[in-house]
Parts: sequence; C-alpha cells; structure tokens
Amino acid sequence: MAEVLVQAERVEKFFGPNKILDGVSFTVTRGETVVLIGSSGSGKTTLLRCINHLEKIEAGRITVNGFLIGYRDRRGVLIEDRERNIARQRRDVGMVFQRFNLFANLSVLDNIILAPMRVRGESRAVASERAMRLLARVGLAEKARSFPASLSGGQQQRVAIARALAMEPAVMLFDEPTSALDPEMVGEVLAVMRGLAQDGMTMMIVTHEMGFARQVADRIIVMDQGRIVEDGPPERLFNAPAHPKTRALLATRH
Amino acid sequence: MHFDWPYFWHQLLQPDGAFLQGLWLTILISIGGQVIGLVIGLPMALARRSASVFLMWPARFYIFLMRGTPLLVQIVFIYTGLAAAGILRFHDITAGPFTISGNVQAGILALGLNEGAYMAEIFRAGIDAVDRGQTEAAKSLGMVPAQILRFVVLPQALRIILLPIGNQFNIMLKNSTLVSVIGVSEMLLVTETINSATFRTFELYSVLALYFLALTSIWGGVMRYVEWRMDRGSARGDAMVIGPLQGEHA
Repeated sequence: MAEVLVQAERVEKFFGPNKILDGVSFTVTRGETVVLIGSSGSGKTTLLRCINHLEKIEAGRITVNGFLIGYRDRRGVLIEDRERNIARQRRDVGMVFQRFNLFANLSVLDNIILAPMRVRGESRAVASERAMRLLARVGLAEKARSFPASLSGGQQQRVAIARALAMEPAVMLFDEPTSALDPEMVGEVLAVMRGLAQDGMTMMIVTHEMGFARQVADRIIVMDQGRIVEDGPPERLFNAPAHPKTRALLATRH
Repeated sequence: MHFDWPYFWHQLLQPDGAFLQGLWLTILISIGGQVIGLVIGLPMALARRSASVFLMWPARFYIFLMRGTPLLVQIVFIYTGLAAAGILRFHDITAGPFTISGNVQAGILALGLNEGAYMAEIFRAGIDAVDRGQTEAAKSLGMVPAQILRFVVLPQALRIILLPIGNQFNIMLKNSTLVSVIGVSEMLLVTETINSATFRTFELYSVLALYFLALTSIWGGVMRYVEWRMDRGSARGDAMVIGPLQGEHA
C-alpha cells in the first residue's frame, strides 16, 4: 500500500472576493511525480504555494507526512500556527520558484549551505560536502564560488534545485520552473528534474511543458477555475481526455 | 570692500587652538549623532513594519514627532526644556583625561534622536526594496524571520541604503552647527566667539565655510570610493562585499 505524503482536503482560498481554490482535494504518495496543469488563473500555482503555507487557506486542510501545515487543530477549528512551527514544517517541503530567487548576496555554495547550517545546525564542513555533491549532480560543481548574477537562468535554476535538495525534503514543489528561461535552457533544467523523478523523489510540478509532463508524470492533475477537473495517469489524459478543459490544454500545447 | 587677506590666510592655515578644538567637536558630535541614529534607525524601521500595533504605532509616532518638529527646537527642548522641568539634567562625564560636558551629550543625543527617524525611513525603504522572492525562498527553506532578516534581507538592504546613509551624514555634518545654541563650542560657536573680539566677520565666516566644504568633500570622496567598490563588485557578479557567512569557518 502506497504511503500518502501530501494530502489536501476541500481546500478553499480567496483573494478578496475571488475564490481561487474551490474545494480542492488530492493525495500524493511517496515517490510519485504529479504534474499540475491548467490555464493561467486556474489556481495551480496558488495550490502549490499553500502546501508550504506561503499562502493561507480559508477552509479545508493540508497535511504533509501526516502533519497539518500552517494551522493547529483546536477542537475542529483551525488556527494559524506560530511562525516558528510553520518554519519547522517547511523543512520537509522543498520549493523551486519560477524566478529562481537565489540569494543575491551569497555565492552559489553559500546559497546552498545557509539553511542546512542555520536551520538544521550542521557544520560548514558537513553542509559544504553535501552541497558540492548536489552541485555535481546538477552539473555546476565549478560554479560553487560564483555569485547568482553571473549565472545564466538555467544555471541559476539548477542551483535553486540543489539548494532545495540540500534540506533533504520529503517532497519537492516546482512552480513553473522553466517559464522564465530562454528556450535553449529549458532542457538542462528538465533533465535535472527527470533525474530526480527517476531517483524516486516525490514531486509536484506546475508546468506548461506538456511533452515533459507526458514523459515524467505518474499523474496529471488538471485545474480549471479553482477546481480539479481531471486527475489521472498521462496516458489516459492524453489519449482519452474526459474534460473539455483537458482537451483544450493538451491540444494547444505539445 | 576691504578683505583682510593676511588675516584670512592666517585663520585658514594656522587656526587658533580653540578653532581646532571646535573642529574636533564638530566631527565628534556628527559621528556620535550618526551612530545613535543608526542604532535607533534599524529597530524603529522593524517596529514600523511590524504587524503588531504595539510596535508599529509608537514607531510611527516617534518618526512623526522627530520629522515634524525643527531640529533646533528638539535640541533646546532636550537640553534646556527637560532640565527646566526637572525631568533630566545632563551632567559632565569624565573618563580619565577626557570630559564630555552635559551640553555636548545633549547635543549628540538630540542629533541622534532626530537622525534615528530619518534612518528608520531609509532602513524601511531599503528592506522594502529587497525582492519578496528572496524572503519566500528563505521561508521555503525553513528559516525563521530573524534569520531571513539577518542573512538574506539586511545584507541586500544595506547595499541599497549605503549611499542614502552617506548622504545623511553629509547633512549631519552641517546640522551639527545647530548645537551651538546650547553653548557647545563646535566650529560655528568658536567662530562667533572669535568674531565678537575681532569683528573680521567676512574673513572668519569664509574660513568656517571652507572648513565645512573640506569636511563634506572628504566625506564625498569616501562615498565615491565606496560606490566604486560596489560597482566593481557587481561587475564581477558578486552582489555584496559584506557576506554574512564570510569569515566564519568550521
């Protein structure tokens, strides 16, 4: 029986009067690669950001590894947790952003070892050793001393992946990781992600790269207007899409 | 018009001991005021940005008060006003051969309190100018707010506000003359004193102006050097000279 790692139950989220997430429920089991697709404004990025509580939710609940994210359960009423506890929960959830968000004031190596040293209390030696291994894995070992501004977008994104992996998270979230890249750099980032999927990393990926989704995803979740309209293996979605939205999305992007 | 060139050159190149002491006092007061301003400014900026009303409103009020009233009034209020009300009297402090008189302390404090309000706004602007994505990335790695501030946001904010802070110190050097009103013998008051004995007013104030120009020019040179260093740093691709992890070795 597959172990449930991420679970969302009837999650609702508003921005002002607009309902961004409308009763979203799904589960992700350990080792699974789930790709979220949907047109812009469908709520897929917001959903991803709720999983490490970068966004608050108004109703429902999200758990990672069985732990409630962002809230404490007071007799059935959810109360937002203290910042310190939320920070602790986030250690298990790695995130890669569309715009990389490498720390501009730190070298590549320092970007990767900052959180392991400060959050996990590792020594510089231990953190650096792992950082160098991760850099080698993303093919950037020779860039350890460089600063983010001197790297290409693709290189920055690969460092960002290494930085998230350095915390040894249980699940990795990717928020449109290739959308801000020049076309010739998309491949190098997708290659790293493909490697992670093969190694059994649990991943949730928001992307418009349909070819990649078809290849790598164990499951594809289709979102439309804050709801999940289809959730299934890529073969079925690509060959026999049930929902008109799925058909439209897969028709326009290949 | 008669300009007494020999007197002018004499005062400029071989000023009285009293004038030189005034020069040192001007520098001491300016640096003292700026340091206090910096020390006050950061916590005030954080309080001003805080979600807690108990931090945010006092900080807002302090900034409102200090920016909304004349510095000259603040100086007199702190030295003369507080003493007259019996609230606080500044006594001379002696440490070994050095004595800092009460009015100098009051002057530095007043300049510092005033500067703190402007520093708070500069720090706030600098912190706000750091890309939100930096904070989000740090959050996603499990860092707590204090760590995010110290290791990620503040180093980048400092770089942004270095030049505005330098600009403030230029203003501070000139505003230090205001403490003459509570009898601090900085350059302006010394000049006035010499003038009342010699009446070489034009010559003396020309010398005073030139000394201030020299101070602000030297400071301008320092800031240009800092700017040049920073630009060179960015050209190489390293965004910061001051890195929080540098100098720490396991």
